[in-house]
Amino acid sequence: MQLLWQILVNGVLLGGLYALMALGLVLVWGVLNIVNLAHGALIMLGAYACYYLFTGLGLDPFAALPVAMVLLFCLGYLVQRYVLNLIIRAPMFNTLLITFGLEVVITYLAQMIFSADFRTVNPSYAGANFIFLGATVPLVRLLAFGVALGLTFALWLFLERTRIGRAIRATAQNLIAARLYGVNPRNLYALTFGIGAALAGAAGTLYGVVSQINPYIGAGLTGKSFAIAIIGGLDKSIYVLIGGLFLGIVEAVTALYIGPTYTDVVSFGILVLVLIVRPTGLLGRTA
Amino acid sequence: MVALLATVPWWGSAVLVQFGINALILATLAQSWNIIGGYTGYPSFGNSVFYGLGGYGVAIAMVQYGLPFPVGMAIGVGLAGAFAILLGLPVCRLRGHYFAIATLGLAEVMTAIVSNLEIAGRNVGLILPLVKGDALFFESSLALLVVTTLTVAWISRSRFGFALIAIRENEQAAAVMGMNTTLYKILAFALCSVFAAVAGGIHAYWITYLDPGSAFDVTLNVKMIIMAVFGGAGTIFGPVLGAFVLSGISEILAAKVTSLASVFFGIVIVAAIVFMPRGCADFVRNFRHLGWRYFQENIRTYRV
Repeated sequence: MQLLWQILVNGVLLGGLYALMALGLVLVWGVLNIVNLAHGALIMLGAYACYYLFTGLGLDPFAALPVAMVLLFCLGYLVQRYVLNLIIRAPMFNTLLITFGLEVVITYLAQMIFSADFRTVNPSYAGANFIFLGATVPLVRLLAFGVALGLTFALWLFLERTRIGRAIRATAQNLIAARLYGVNPRNLYALTFGIGAALAGAAGTLYGVVSQINPYIGAGLTGKSFAIAIIGGLDKSIYVLIGGLFLGIVEAVTALYIGPTYTDVVSFGILVLVLIVRPTGLLGRTA
Repeated sequence: MVALLATVPWWGSAVLVQFGINALILATLAQSWNIIGGYTGYPSFGNSVFYGLGGYGVAIAMVQYGLPFPVGMAIGVGLAGAFAILLGLPVCRLRGHYFAIATLGLAEVMTAIVSNLEIAGRNVGLILPLVKGDALFFESSLALLVVTTLTVAWISRSRFGFALIAIRENEQAAAVMGMNTTLYKILAFALCSVFAAVAGGIHAYWITYLDPGSAFDVTLNVKMIIMAVFGGAGTIFGPVLGAFVLSGISEILAAKVTSLASVFFGIVIVAAIVFMPRGCADFVRNFRHLGWRYFQENIRTYRV
Protein backbone atom coordinates (compact mmCIF):
# COMPACT_ATOMS: atom_id res chain seq x y z
CA MET A 1 0.00 0.00 0.00
CA GLN A 2 2.86 2.30 0.95
CA LEU A 3 4.50 1.48 -2.37
CA LEU A 4 1.33 2.12 -4.35
CA TRP A 5 0.91 5.50 -2.63
CA GLN A 6 4.46 6.45 -3.54
CA ILE A 7 3.88 5.34 -7.12
CA LEU A 8 0.71 7.41 -7.34
CA VAL A 9 2.54 10.49 -6.06
CA ASN A 10 5.28 9.95 -8.65
CA GLY A 11 2.69 9.44 -11.39
CA VAL A 12 0.81 12.62 -10.53
CA LEU A 13 4.00 14.71 -10.41
CA LEU A 14 5.13 13.34 -13.77
CA GLY A 15 1.62 13.71 -15.19
CA GLY A 16 1.59 17.46 -14.59
CA LEU A 17 4.70 17.80 -16.71
CA TYR A 18 3.21 15.52 -19.38
CA ALA A 19 0.14 17.74 -19.51
CA LEU A 20 2.28 20.82 -20.12
CA MET A 21 4.10 18.97 -22.91
CA ALA A 22 0.81 18.17 -24.62
CA LEU A 23 -0.74 21.59 -24.07
CA GLY A 24 1.11 23.33 -26.91
CA LEU A 25 0.43 20.46 -29.30
CA VAL A 26 -3.27 20.55 -28.47
CA LEU A 27 -3.49 24.33 -28.91
CA VAL A 28 -1.85 24.22 -32.36
CA TRP A 29 -3.86 21.19 -33.42
CA GLY A 30 -7.16 22.63 -32.27
CA VAL A 31 -6.70 26.09 -33.76
CA LEU A 32 -4.54 25.56 -36.85
CA ASN A 33 -5.53 21.96 -37.59
CA ILE A 34 -1.82 21.13 -37.84
CA VAL A 35 -0.62 17.97 -36.11
CA ASN A 36 2.81 19.24 -35.24
CA LEU A 37 5.30 16.38 -35.45
CA ALA A 38 8.06 18.84 -34.55
CA HIS A 39 6.50 19.55 -31.15
CA GLY A 40 8.85 17.18 -29.33
CA ALA A 41 11.82 18.80 -31.06
CA LEU A 42 10.68 22.18 -29.74
CA ILE A 43 10.51 20.70 -26.24
CA MET A 44 14.07 19.46 -26.76
CA LEU A 45 15.17 23.00 -27.78
CA GLY A 46 13.57 24.36 -24.62
CA ALA A 47 15.54 21.87 -22.56
CA TYR A 48 18.81 22.93 -24.21
CA ALA A 49 17.98 26.61 -23.77
CA CYS A 50 17.64 25.92 -20.05
CA TYR A 51 20.84 23.88 -20.01
CA TYR A 52 22.92 26.63 -21.60
CA LEU A 53 21.36 29.40 -19.54
CA PHE A 54 22.12 27.34 -16.43
CA THR A 55 25.67 26.25 -17.25
CA GLY A 56 26.69 29.34 -19.24
CA LEU A 57 25.10 32.20 -17.30
CA GLY A 58 24.50 30.39 -14.02
CA LEU A 59 20.80 31.19 -14.25
CA ASP A 60 18.53 29.11 -12.01
CA PRO A 61 16.45 26.72 -14.21
CA PHE A 62 13.19 28.19 -12.95
CA ALA A 63 14.45 31.69 -13.78
CA ALA A 64 15.59 30.41 -17.18
CA LEU A 65 12.06 29.20 -17.92
CA PRO A 66 10.60 32.56 -19.05
CA VAL A 67 13.70 33.22 -21.17
CA ALA A 68 13.32 29.84 -22.87
CA MET A 69 9.64 30.58 -23.45
CA VAL A 70 10.40 33.92 -25.11
CA LEU A 71 13.08 32.35 -27.33
CA LEU A 72 10.80 29.52 -28.39
CA PHE A 73 7.91 31.94 -28.94
CA CYS A 74 10.03 33.92 -31.41
CA LEU A 75 11.13 30.77 -33.21
CA GLY A 76 7.56 29.45 -33.39
CA TYR A 77 6.20 32.77 -34.60
CA LEU A 78 8.76 32.98 -37.42
CA VAL A 79 8.30 29.35 -38.48
CA GLN A 80 4.55 29.72 -38.74
CA ARG A 81 4.67 33.17 -40.35
CA TYR A 82 7.21 32.35 -43.05
CA VAL A 83 6.93 28.59 -43.60
CA LEU A 84 3.78 26.94 -42.31
CA ASN A 85 1.44 29.75 -43.34
CA LEU A 86 2.42 29.01 -46.96
CA ILE A 87 0.85 25.54 -46.88
CA ILE A 88 -1.77 25.77 -44.18
CA ARG A 89 -4.68 25.06 -46.51
CA ALA A 90 -2.95 22.11 -48.23
CA PRO A 91 -4.14 18.51 -47.67
CA MET A 92 -3.31 16.87 -44.37
CA PHE A 93 -0.36 14.76 -45.65
CA ASN A 94 1.44 17.92 -46.58
CA THR A 95 1.08 19.58 -43.20
CA LEU A 96 2.13 16.35 -41.48
CA LEU A 97 5.14 15.95 -43.74
CA ILE A 98 6.34 19.51 -43.48
CA THR A 99 6.34 19.36 -39.68
CA PHE A 100 8.23 16.08 -39.93
CA GLY A 101 10.75 17.84 -42.18
CA LEU A 102 11.10 20.57 -39.55
CA GLU A 103 11.60 17.92 -36.88
CA VAL A 104 14.46 16.40 -38.89
CA VAL A 105 16.07 19.79 -39.45
CA ILE A 106 15.81 20.82 -35.79
CA THR A 107 16.98 17.46 -34.41
CA TYR A 108 20.07 17.17 -36.60
CA LEU A 109 21.03 20.82 -36.28
CA ALA A 110 20.80 20.29 -32.52
CA GLN A 111 23.00 17.23 -32.83
CA MET A 112 25.62 19.26 -34.69
CA ILE A 113 25.52 22.25 -32.37
CA PHE A 114 24.91 20.64 -28.97
CA SER A 115 26.58 17.24 -29.71
CA ALA A 116 24.83 13.94 -29.01
CA ASP A 117 26.02 13.71 -25.39
CA PHE A 118 23.54 13.31 -22.57
CA ARG A 119 23.16 16.50 -20.51
CA THR A 120 21.63 17.16 -17.13
CA VAL A 121 20.62 20.36 -15.40
CA ASN A 122 21.69 19.99 -11.78
CA PRO A 123 20.84 22.94 -9.56
CA SER A 124 22.13 22.79 -5.97
CA TYR A 125 18.72 21.71 -4.67
CA ALA A 126 18.40 18.84 -7.21
CA GLY A 127 18.60 16.16 -4.55
CA ALA A 128 16.31 17.85 -2.00
CA ASN A 129 13.12 16.10 -1.01
CA PHE A 130 10.61 15.89 1.82
CA ILE A 131 8.15 13.35 3.17
CA PHE A 132 4.47 13.93 2.50
CA LEU A 133 2.07 11.47 4.21
CA GLY A 134 4.72 8.78 4.04
CA ALA A 135 5.67 9.33 0.39
CA THR A 136 8.96 10.90 -0.67
CA VAL A 137 8.41 14.01 -2.78
CA PRO A 138 11.45 15.33 -4.72
CA LEU A 139 11.46 19.12 -4.52
CA VAL A 140 12.28 19.80 -8.19
CA ARG A 141 9.52 17.51 -9.36
CA LEU A 142 7.03 19.25 -7.12
CA LEU A 143 8.18 22.66 -8.39
CA ALA A 144 7.96 21.45 -11.98
CA PHE A 145 4.47 20.16 -11.27
CA GLY A 146 3.45 23.49 -9.77
CA VAL A 147 4.80 25.49 -12.72
CA ALA A 148 3.06 23.13 -15.17
CA LEU A 149 -0.26 23.62 -13.36
CA GLY A 150 0.27 27.38 -13.25
CA LEU A 151 0.97 27.59 -16.98
CA THR A 152 -2.04 25.44 -17.83
CA PHE A 153 -4.21 27.78 -15.76
CA ALA A 154 -2.57 30.84 -17.34
CA LEU A 155 -3.31 29.54 -20.84
CA TRP A 156 -6.92 28.91 -19.88
CA LEU A 157 -7.21 32.43 -18.50
CA PHE A 158 -5.56 33.87 -21.60
CA LEU A 159 -7.90 32.05 -23.98
CA GLU A 160 -11.03 32.87 -21.98
CA ARG A 161 -10.42 36.42 -20.86
CA THR A 162 -8.23 38.33 -23.31
CA ARG A 163 -9.09 39.82 -26.69
CA ILE A 164 -6.42 37.82 -28.50
CA GLY A 165 -7.53 34.67 -26.70
CA ARG A 166 -11.08 35.21 -27.91
CA ALA A 167 -9.81 35.81 -31.44
CA ILE A 168 -7.88 32.53 -31.29
CA ARG A 169 -10.93 30.60 -30.12
CA ALA A 170 -13.10 32.27 -32.74
CA THR A 171 -10.65 31.33 -35.49
CA ALA A 172 -10.62 27.74 -34.28
CA GLN A 173 -14.40 27.62 -34.52
CA ASN A 174 -14.94 29.41 -37.81
CA LEU A 175 -12.16 31.03 -39.83
CA ILE A 176 -14.43 32.88 -42.26
CA ALA A 177 -16.59 34.40 -39.55
CA ALA A 178 -13.48 35.39 -37.60
CA ARG A 179 -12.04 37.10 -40.68
CA LEU A 180 -15.28 39.03 -41.16
CA TYR A 181 -14.85 40.37 -37.65
CA GLY A 182 -11.40 41.68 -38.53
CA VAL A 183 -9.12 38.88 -37.38
CA ASN A 184 -5.92 38.77 -39.43
CA PRO A 185 -5.29 35.02 -39.72
CA ARG A 186 -1.66 35.33 -40.84
CA ASN A 187 -0.67 37.09 -37.67
CA LEU A 188 -3.04 35.14 -35.43
CA TYR A 189 -1.83 31.76 -36.68
CA ALA A 190 1.78 32.81 -36.14
CA LEU A 191 0.87 34.01 -32.65
CA THR A 192 -0.89 30.73 -31.83
CA PHE A 193 2.00 28.61 -33.06
CA GLY A 194 4.36 30.88 -31.13
CA ILE A 195 2.39 30.30 -27.93
CA GLY A 196 2.40 26.54 -28.61
CA ALA A 197 6.18 26.68 -29.06
CA ALA A 198 6.58 28.75 -25.88
CA LEU A 199 4.63 26.12 -23.93
CA ALA A 200 6.89 23.47 -25.46
CA GLY A 201 9.86 25.55 -24.33
CA ALA A 202 8.52 25.69 -20.78
CA ALA A 203 7.88 21.93 -20.78
CA GLY A 204 11.40 21.38 -22.10
CA THR A 205 12.95 23.48 -19.34
CA LEU A 206 11.14 21.44 -16.69
CA TYR A 207 11.95 18.19 -18.48
CA GLY A 208 15.63 19.14 -18.44
CA VAL A 209 15.45 19.59 -14.67
CA VAL A 210 13.82 16.24 -13.89
CA SER A 211 15.44 14.07 -16.58
CA GLN A 212 18.43 13.66 -18.89
CA ILE A 213 18.36 15.33 -22.30
CA ASN A 214 19.89 14.64 -25.70
CA PRO A 215 18.97 15.83 -29.23
CA TYR A 216 16.85 12.74 -29.94
CA ILE A 217 14.30 12.95 -27.13
CA GLY A 218 11.88 14.85 -29.39
CA ALA A 219 10.18 12.01 -31.27
CA GLY A 220 9.28 10.07 -28.14
CA LEU A 221 7.92 13.20 -26.46
CA THR A 222 5.79 13.96 -29.52
CA GLY A 223 4.34 10.45 -29.20
CA LYS A 224 3.50 10.97 -25.53
CA SER A 225 1.95 14.35 -26.28
CA PHE A 226 -0.24 12.68 -28.91
CA ALA A 227 -1.42 10.06 -26.45
CA ILE A 228 -2.40 12.78 -23.95
CA ALA A 229 -4.08 14.91 -26.62
CA ILE A 230 -6.16 11.93 -27.73
CA ILE A 231 -7.05 10.81 -24.20
CA GLY A 232 -8.06 14.30 -23.14
CA GLY A 233 -9.52 15.57 -26.40
CA LEU A 234 -8.91 18.94 -28.02
CA ASP A 235 -11.64 20.98 -26.37
CA LYS A 236 -10.33 22.46 -23.14
CA SER A 237 -6.94 22.93 -21.51
CA ILE A 238 -8.28 21.41 -18.27
CA TYR A 239 -8.96 18.15 -20.15
CA VAL A 240 -5.35 18.09 -21.31
CA LEU A 241 -4.33 18.32 -17.67
CA ILE A 242 -6.52 15.35 -16.78
CA GLY A 243 -5.14 13.41 -19.77
CA GLY A 244 -1.59 14.13 -18.64
CA LEU A 245 -2.23 13.08 -15.04
CA PHE A 246 -3.98 9.93 -16.28
CA LEU A 247 -1.02 8.97 -18.47
CA GLY A 248 1.49 9.74 -15.73
CA ILE A 249 -0.34 7.53 -13.22
CA VAL A 250 -0.91 4.72 -15.73
CA GLU A 251 2.77 4.69 -16.68
CA ALA A 252 3.91 4.64 -13.06
CA VAL A 253 1.50 1.82 -12.14
CA THR A 254 2.44 -0.20 -15.23
CA ALA A 255 6.13 0.14 -14.46
CA LEU A 256 5.48 -1.22 -10.96
CA TYR A 257 3.08 -4.10 -11.64
CA ILE A 258 3.86 -5.25 -15.21
CA GLY A 259 7.39 -4.03 -15.84
CA PRO A 260 9.07 -0.82 -16.98
CA THR A 261 9.53 -2.12 -20.54
CA TYR A 262 5.75 -2.33 -20.93
CA THR A 263 4.92 1.35 -20.28
CA ASP A 264 4.89 2.12 -24.01
CA VAL A 265 2.66 -0.86 -24.79
CA VAL A 266 0.14 0.34 -22.23
CA SER A 267 0.21 4.06 -23.04
CA PHE A 268 -0.04 3.60 -26.81
CA GLY A 269 -2.50 0.73 -26.35
CA ILE A 270 -4.74 3.13 -24.42
CA LEU A 271 -4.25 5.70 -27.19
CA VAL A 272 -5.46 3.25 -29.85
CA LEU A 273 -8.34 2.00 -27.69
CA VAL A 274 -9.55 5.51 -26.93
CA LEU A 275 -9.41 6.39 -30.63
CA ILE A 276 -11.46 3.36 -31.55
CA VAL A 277 -14.04 3.75 -28.80
CA ARG A 278 -14.27 7.54 -28.62
CA PRO A 279 -12.35 9.40 -31.33
CA THR A 280 -13.05 12.84 -29.83
CA GLY A 281 -11.21 11.97 -26.61
CA LEU A 282 -12.49 10.48 -23.38
CA LEU A 283 -13.67 13.88 -22.16
CA GLY A 284 -14.29 15.69 -25.44
CA ARG A 285 -17.60 16.45 -27.06
CA THR A 286 -19.10 13.74 -29.24
CA ALA A 287 -18.64 14.72 -32.87
CA MET B 1 13.77 0.30 -68.46
CA VAL B 2 13.17 -2.69 -66.20
CA ALA B 3 15.41 -4.86 -68.39
CA LEU B 4 18.16 -2.27 -68.14
CA LEU B 5 17.82 -2.15 -64.36
CA ALA B 6 17.92 -5.94 -64.20
CA THR B 7 21.43 -5.98 -65.70
CA VAL B 8 22.87 -3.67 -63.02
CA PRO B 9 24.36 -6.49 -60.87
CA TRP B 10 26.52 -7.58 -63.83
CA TRP B 11 28.22 -4.25 -64.49
CA GLY B 12 27.56 -2.12 -61.42
CA SER B 13 29.94 -1.83 -58.49
CA ALA B 14 29.12 -3.49 -55.16
CA VAL B 15 28.21 -0.09 -53.72
CA LEU B 16 25.84 0.64 -56.59
CA VAL B 17 24.12 -2.75 -56.22
CA GLN B 18 23.67 -2.26 -52.49
CA PHE B 19 22.34 1.24 -53.01
CA GLY B 20 20.05 -0.26 -55.67
CA ILE B 21 18.62 -2.89 -53.31
CA ASN B 22 17.83 -0.22 -50.73
CA ALA B 23 16.28 2.08 -53.31
CA LEU B 24 14.20 -0.75 -54.82
CA ILE B 25 12.89 -1.79 -51.40
CA LEU B 26 12.06 1.80 -50.50
CA ALA B 27 10.32 2.20 -53.86
CA THR B 28 8.27 -0.93 -53.15
CA LEU B 29 7.31 0.43 -49.73
CA ALA B 30 6.38 3.83 -51.17
CA GLN B 31 4.34 2.09 -53.85
CA SER B 32 2.54 -0.11 -51.33
CA TRP B 33 1.79 2.95 -49.20
CA ASN B 34 0.39 4.52 -52.37
CA ILE B 35 -2.49 2.01 -52.32
CA ILE B 36 -3.81 3.07 -48.92
CA GLY B 37 -2.41 6.62 -48.80
CA GLY B 38 -2.43 7.76 -52.41
CA TYR B 39 -5.51 6.06 -53.87
CA THR B 40 -7.67 5.67 -50.77
CA GLY B 41 -6.50 8.90 -49.13
CA TYR B 42 -5.82 7.36 -45.72
CA PRO B 43 -2.49 8.52 -44.24
CA SER B 44 -1.30 5.24 -42.77
CA PHE B 45 1.60 5.27 -40.33
CA GLY B 46 1.23 1.54 -39.78
CA ASN B 47 2.92 0.29 -42.95
CA SER B 48 6.22 -0.03 -41.12
CA VAL B 49 4.43 -2.59 -38.91
CA PHE B 50 3.75 -4.76 -41.96
CA TYR B 51 7.36 -4.36 -43.01
CA GLY B 52 8.53 -5.37 -39.55
CA LEU B 53 6.16 -8.32 -39.32
CA GLY B 54 7.42 -9.59 -42.70
CA GLY B 55 10.99 -9.36 -41.45
CA TYR B 56 10.18 -11.02 -38.13
CA GLY B 57 8.19 -13.79 -39.85
CA VAL B 58 11.28 -14.69 -41.86
CA ALA B 59 13.69 -14.25 -38.96
CA ILE B 60 11.70 -16.27 -36.40
CA ALA B 61 11.01 -19.10 -38.86
CA MET B 62 14.65 -19.35 -39.97
CA VAL B 63 16.43 -18.76 -36.66
CA GLN B 64 14.10 -20.35 -34.11
CA TYR B 65 12.69 -23.22 -36.20
CA GLY B 66 15.27 -23.70 -38.96
CA LEU B 67 12.65 -23.40 -41.70
CA PRO B 68 13.59 -22.35 -45.25
CA PHE B 69 13.22 -18.72 -46.41
CA PRO B 70 10.02 -19.13 -48.49
CA VAL B 71 8.15 -20.68 -45.55
CA GLY B 72 9.28 -17.81 -43.35
CA MET B 73 8.13 -15.37 -45.98
CA ALA B 74 4.70 -17.03 -46.09
CA ILE B 75 4.48 -16.77 -42.30
CA GLY B 76 5.51 -13.10 -42.39
CA VAL B 77 2.98 -12.24 -45.07
CA GLY B 78 0.31 -14.19 -43.19
CA LEU B 79 1.07 -12.32 -39.98
CA ALA B 80 0.99 -8.94 -41.71
CA GLY B 81 -2.22 -9.75 -43.59
CA ALA B 82 -3.95 -10.97 -40.43
CA PHE B 83 -2.78 -7.88 -38.57
CA ALA B 84 -4.07 -5.62 -41.36
CA ILE B 85 -7.50 -7.27 -41.42
CA LEU B 86 -7.99 -7.65 -37.65
CA LEU B 87 -6.81 -4.15 -36.76
CA GLY B 88 -8.14 -2.66 -39.97
CA LEU B 89 -11.67 -3.46 -38.78
CA PRO B 90 -11.67 -0.88 -35.99
CA VAL B 91 -8.94 1.46 -37.26
CA CYS B 92 -10.24 1.91 -40.81
CA ARG B 93 -13.40 3.49 -39.39
CA LEU B 94 -11.35 6.46 -38.21
CA ARG B 95 -10.68 9.38 -40.50
CA GLY B 96 -7.98 11.92 -41.19
CA HIS B 97 -5.64 12.75 -38.34
CA TYR B 98 -7.27 10.18 -36.12
CA PHE B 99 -6.48 7.36 -38.54
CA ALA B 100 -2.91 8.63 -38.83
CA ILE B 101 -2.44 8.70 -35.06
CA ALA B 102 -4.14 5.35 -34.44
CA THR B 103 -1.82 3.66 -36.94
CA LEU B 104 1.14 5.49 -35.40
CA GLY B 105 0.05 4.22 -32.00
CA LEU B 106 -0.21 0.66 -33.33
CA ALA B 107 3.33 0.93 -34.68
CA GLU B 108 4.60 2.00 -31.24
CA VAL B 109 2.67 -0.78 -29.51
CA MET B 110 4.10 -3.39 -31.88
CA THR B 111 7.67 -2.17 -31.34
CA ALA B 112 7.19 -2.37 -27.59
CA ILE B 113 5.52 -5.80 -27.69
CA VAL B 114 8.14 -7.36 -29.96
CA SER B 115 10.99 -6.03 -27.84
CA ASN B 116 9.46 -7.97 -24.93
CA LEU B 117 9.02 -11.28 -26.81
CA GLU B 118 11.48 -14.07 -26.06
CA ILE B 119 10.90 -15.75 -29.44
CA ALA B 120 11.76 -12.50 -31.28
CA GLY B 121 15.02 -12.04 -29.40
CA ARG B 122 13.67 -9.18 -27.25
CA ASN B 123 15.59 -5.92 -27.55
CA VAL B 124 18.72 -7.60 -28.86
CA GLY B 125 17.11 -8.91 -32.03
CA LEU B 126 17.86 -11.94 -34.20
CA ILE B 127 20.79 -12.79 -36.45
CA LEU B 128 19.87 -14.62 -39.65
CA PRO B 129 22.04 -17.09 -41.57
CA LEU B 130 24.40 -15.26 -43.92
CA VAL B 131 23.83 -15.58 -47.65
CA LYS B 132 26.29 -14.16 -50.17
CA GLY B 133 24.69 -12.87 -53.32
CA ASP B 134 23.69 -9.24 -53.60
CA ALA B 135 22.73 -9.94 -57.23
CA LEU B 136 19.99 -12.33 -56.14
CA PHE B 137 18.60 -9.83 -53.64
CA PHE B 138 18.75 -7.10 -56.27
CA GLU B 139 16.77 -9.17 -58.75
CA SER B 140 14.17 -10.25 -56.22
CA SER B 141 13.70 -6.66 -54.99
CA LEU B 142 13.32 -5.53 -58.58
CA ALA B 143 10.79 -8.29 -59.28
CA LEU B 144 8.84 -7.29 -56.17
CA LEU B 145 8.78 -3.65 -57.24
CA VAL B 146 7.56 -4.63 -60.72
CA VAL B 147 4.78 -6.79 -59.27
CA THR B 148 3.75 -4.02 -56.86
CA THR B 149 3.72 -1.40 -59.62
CA LEU B 150 1.72 -3.69 -61.92
CA THR B 151 -0.78 -4.20 -59.11
CA VAL B 152 -1.09 -0.44 -58.65
CA ALA B 153 -1.50 -0.04 -62.42
CA TRP B 154 -4.28 -2.61 -62.29
CA ILE B 155 -5.89 -0.86 -59.33
CA SER B 156 -5.87 2.48 -61.14
CA ARG B 157 -8.13 1.14 -63.89
CA SER B 158 -10.19 -1.48 -62.07
CA ARG B 159 -13.54 -1.30 -60.34
CA PHE B 160 -11.72 -1.84 -57.05
CA GLY B 161 -9.47 1.15 -57.72
CA PHE B 162 -12.40 3.39 -58.65
CA ALA B 163 -14.00 2.42 -55.35
CA LEU B 164 -10.85 3.48 -53.48
CA ILE B 165 -10.68 6.78 -55.38
CA ALA B 166 -14.35 7.37 -54.63
CA ILE B 167 -13.56 6.93 -50.93
CA ARG B 168 -10.70 9.41 -51.21
CA GLU B 169 -12.76 12.02 -53.02
CA ASN B 170 -15.92 11.78 -50.94
CA GLU B 171 -16.41 8.90 -48.58
CA GLN B 172 -19.92 9.85 -47.56
CA ALA B 173 -21.09 10.05 -51.15
CA ALA B 174 -19.49 6.67 -51.86
CA ALA B 175 -21.29 5.14 -48.88
CA VAL B 176 -24.59 6.67 -49.97
CA MET B 177 -24.12 5.09 -53.40
CA GLY B 178 -24.27 1.74 -51.62
CA MET B 179 -20.56 0.98 -51.33
CA ASN B 180 -19.29 -0.93 -48.33
CA THR B 181 -16.51 1.57 -47.74
CA THR B 182 -15.09 -0.18 -44.67
CA LEU B 183 -14.64 -3.40 -46.64
CA TYR B 184 -12.81 -1.62 -49.45
CA LYS B 185 -10.56 0.21 -47.01
CA ILE B 186 -9.65 -3.00 -45.21
CA LEU B 187 -8.92 -4.70 -48.54
CA ALA B 188 -6.65 -1.82 -49.52
CA PHE B 189 -4.94 -2.01 -46.12
CA ALA B 190 -4.46 -5.79 -46.47
CA LEU B 191 -3.17 -5.46 -50.02
CA CYS B 192 -0.48 -2.97 -49.08
CA SER B 193 0.42 -5.10 -46.05
CA VAL B 194 1.35 -8.00 -48.36
CA PHE B 195 3.85 -5.99 -50.40
CA ALA B 196 5.35 -4.28 -47.38
CA ALA B 197 5.75 -7.64 -45.61
CA VAL B 198 7.56 -9.22 -48.58
CA ALA B 199 9.85 -6.19 -48.76
CA GLY B 200 10.55 -6.54 -45.04
CA GLY B 201 11.33 -10.25 -45.42
CA ILE B 202 13.75 -9.68 -48.28
CA HIS B 203 15.45 -6.84 -46.45
CA ALA B 204 15.85 -8.85 -43.22
CA TYR B 205 17.37 -11.81 -45.09
CA TRP B 206 19.73 -9.48 -46.96
CA ILE B 207 20.87 -7.50 -43.89
CA THR B 208 20.93 -10.77 -41.85
CA TYR B 209 20.06 -8.85 -38.70
CA LEU B 210 16.80 -7.68 -37.21
CA ASP B 211 15.95 -5.72 -34.09
CA PRO B 212 12.66 -4.09 -33.00
CA GLY B 213 13.95 -0.54 -33.37
CA SER B 214 14.89 -0.86 -37.02
CA ALA B 215 12.15 -3.33 -38.04
CA PHE B 216 9.26 -1.18 -36.85
CA ASP B 217 10.99 2.15 -37.43
CA VAL B 218 8.34 4.87 -37.77
CA THR B 219 10.87 7.02 -39.63
CA LEU B 220 10.82 4.41 -42.38
CA ASN B 221 7.06 4.86 -42.61
CA VAL B 222 7.50 8.62 -42.88
CA LYS B 223 10.06 8.02 -45.64
CA MET B 224 7.50 5.97 -47.59
CA ILE B 225 5.01 8.82 -47.32
CA ILE B 226 7.55 11.46 -48.29
CA MET B 227 8.70 9.46 -51.29
CA ALA B 228 5.15 8.83 -52.45
CA VAL B 229 4.06 12.44 -51.94
CA PHE B 230 7.28 13.84 -53.44
CA GLY B 231 6.83 11.72 -56.55
CA GLY B 232 3.06 12.12 -56.69
CA ALA B 233 0.67 10.16 -54.49
CA GLY B 234 -2.18 8.48 -56.32
CA THR B 235 -0.23 8.08 -59.56
CA ILE B 236 1.28 4.86 -60.91
CA PHE B 237 4.92 5.86 -61.30
CA GLY B 238 5.09 8.81 -58.90
CA PRO B 239 6.10 6.85 -55.78
CA VAL B 240 8.81 4.93 -57.67
CA LEU B 241 10.20 8.14 -59.12
CA GLY B 242 10.07 9.82 -55.71
CA ALA B 243 11.85 6.91 -54.04
CA PHE B 244 14.66 6.84 -56.64
CA VAL B 245 15.17 10.61 -56.64
CA LEU B 246 15.12 11.00 -52.85
CA SER B 247 17.30 7.91 -52.26
CA GLY B 248 19.76 9.34 -54.76
CA ILE B 249 19.75 12.77 -53.13
CA SER B 250 20.27 11.41 -49.63
CA GLU B 251 23.01 9.04 -50.84
CA ILE B 252 24.92 11.85 -52.53
CA LEU B 253 24.44 14.14 -49.52
CA ALA B 254 25.65 11.40 -47.17
CA ALA B 255 28.79 10.99 -49.28
CA LYS B 256 29.55 14.73 -49.68
CA VAL B 257 28.55 16.34 -46.41
CA THR B 258 28.21 13.62 -43.81
CA SER B 259 27.08 15.65 -40.83
CA LEU B 260 24.78 17.96 -42.74
CA ALA B 261 23.09 15.22 -44.80
CA SER B 262 20.10 14.77 -42.53
CA VAL B 263 19.59 18.52 -42.17
CA PHE B 264 19.58 18.92 -45.96
CA PHE B 265 17.17 16.03 -46.26
CA GLY B 266 14.80 17.81 -43.90
CA ILE B 267 15.14 21.03 -45.89
CA VAL B 268 14.41 19.14 -49.13
CA ILE B 269 11.19 17.83 -47.57
CA VAL B 270 10.10 21.29 -46.40
CA ALA B 271 10.96 22.92 -49.73
CA ALA B 272 9.23 20.17 -51.72
CA ILE B 273 6.03 20.54 -49.70
CA VAL B 274 6.04 24.32 -50.08
CA PHE B 275 6.91 24.49 -53.78
CA MET B 276 5.63 21.21 -55.22
CA PRO B 277 2.80 20.10 -52.93
CA ARG B 278 1.31 17.82 -55.58
CA GLY B 279 4.54 15.99 -56.33
CA CYS B 280 6.93 15.59 -59.24
CA ALA B 281 4.28 14.08 -61.50
CA ASP B 282 2.20 17.25 -61.31
CA PHE B 283 5.33 19.39 -61.63
CA VAL B 284 6.36 17.69 -64.87
CA ARG B 285 2.83 18.04 -66.26
CA ASN B 286 2.39 21.75 -65.48
CA PHE B 287 5.85 23.29 -65.39
CA ARG B 288 6.10 23.34 -69.19
CA HIS B 289 3.31 25.83 -69.78
CA LEU B 290 3.41 27.65 -66.43
CA GLY B 291 7.18 27.99 -66.03
CA TRP B 292 8.34 29.59 -62.81
CA ARG B 293 4.79 30.74 -62.14
CA TYR B 294 4.08 27.10 -61.22
CA PHE B 295 5.71 27.55 -57.80
CA GLN B 296 3.96 30.85 -57.23
CA GLU B 297 0.59 29.31 -58.11
CA ASN B 298 1.11 26.49 -55.61
CA ILE B 299 1.90 28.83 -52.77
CA ARG B 300 -1.01 31.06 -53.68
CA THR B 301 -3.38 28.08 -53.56
CA TYR B 302 -2.50 26.91 -50.07
CA ARG B 303 -1.30 29.95 -48.15
CA VAL B 304 -3.47 31.91 -45.79
